[in-house]
Amino acid sequence: MDVTVRYRRRPGLPWREEPEAAREALAELEAGRDASGEGTLLVVERGRITELNILGGEIWKLCDGSLDVAGIVEALLPRFEVGREELSADVREFLADLLARGWVVPS
Amino acid sequence: MSAPGKIYSAPLLVNWSLNYSCNFSCEHCYSRFEKAEELPAEQVLEAGSRLAKAGVLFANFGGGEPLLRRDLLAVSTELTARGLSLSLNSNGWLLDAAAAAGLRDAGFVSVGLSLDSHRAEVHDRFRNRPGSFERVVAAAGHLVRAGVKLTISTVVCRVNHRELAPLLELAKSLGAAQVYLHNFKCSGKGMEHRFELDLEPLEWRDFYREALAFAGNPLFPEISFDDPILASLGARDAEHGIPGSTCGKLSLHLRPNGDITPCGFIPLVLGNILRDDLPTLWRESPVLEAMRHKTAKGKCTACGHYASCLGGCTARAFAVSGDLNAPDPHCWENPCG
Repeated sequence: MDVTVRYRRRPGLPWREEPEAAREALAELEAGRDASGEGTLLVVERGRITELNILGGEIWKLCDGSLDVAGIVEALLPRFEVGREELSADVREFLADLLARGWVVPS
Repeated sequence: MSAPGKIYSAPLLVNWSLNYSCNFSCEHCYSRFEKAEELPAEQVLEAGSRLAKAGVLFANFGGGEPLLRRDLLAVSTELTARGLSLSLNSNGWLLDAAAAAGLRDAGFVSVGLSLDSHRAEVHDRFRNRPGSFERVVAAAGHLVRAGVKLTISTVVCRVNHRELAPLLELAKSLGAAQVYLHNFKCSGKGMEHRFELDLEPLEWRDFYREALAFAGNPLFPEISFDDPILASLGARDAEHGIPGSTCGKLSLHLRPNGDITPCGFIPLVLGNILRDDLPTLWRESPVLEAMRHKTAKGKCTACGHYASCLGGCTARAFAVSGDLNAPDPHCWENPCG
């Protein structure tokens, strides 16, 4: 994928955050525990519900067309205890998946 | 006691009866005998704002005939702007080219038309309205030409259960993207005509076997079911992962006066959207709690499918027995249990 492209969420695709689940996931992370299995944001397409975990949800919310991959990584680094390289790889992989699904489009 | 599956922070969908008034008097109608004052436009908007604020993503207008509301397009335009993804169901009688364009411009994601048979005389008789078949076919054309996603809603019952293939072919020829096969509900006129129109349990099983064979066939539109008893055929909707009825777990219903019920077929009022806090009701309603934690009764106690079907359609069970936990009267499993 082109890491210089800025992506935005596909207009009209319904989604919402699950605030309580997000709070719990952040508390788990702060306690040093794994929260990757907890769905904190829902995307609904053609009646199918997909849950994004806390990292996926935060990437999703940053896909507003203003940030490229490096910008998203910069925004997330202070919030997750993970190295830049690993986070960058996670962001790229996740964005590639969103792009393949047609859930984000180049801005 | 059953596990409810995951319950999210708010319903995803609200089925919203904006009005109970209708220009038809269909044989199966669940709402023909219902009476409720309609909210004026400003209160509809307030209700919609409350839904959007709570996190509801989808509102599907039914009724009644939504197109009888003169302010439908105006309020829909505003509700779309407030973040709700809108759809509606109509009998199509009033849906001309101008109405189709208006629905498109108001932001409707899809519009469902009720179609009960590929045979005009069967549809017209069921709908008690001569000419209704011709009008709904014309309405489909108007929607497709306006660029609105067309879906077809069919209530499966004795007049059409053996003629699914030609109905699907007609839906395809009309340009429908999806056909919703609604199971017959014993509510309102449906209860009055239950013994003429409802199928026997083994007929339901045979119908669903046939329908499932059509699902995924590219020659036909996509078929959607909303019946938890499909679990016993190994075909329960996989997309939401919610066992049993989705009412009260993914969706709620609004009456024209803003009263909230679990679904359009369960007449238990949980509160009112204009008076009560929706997230609190969603979390704390004893009725929803009971629907989410059903207890197997009767033949369900020994059934191996209970964990996935949870007694089937709660509305049907409640309608014929008054008990949310009673077995679904459509269920074909363990007939002597």
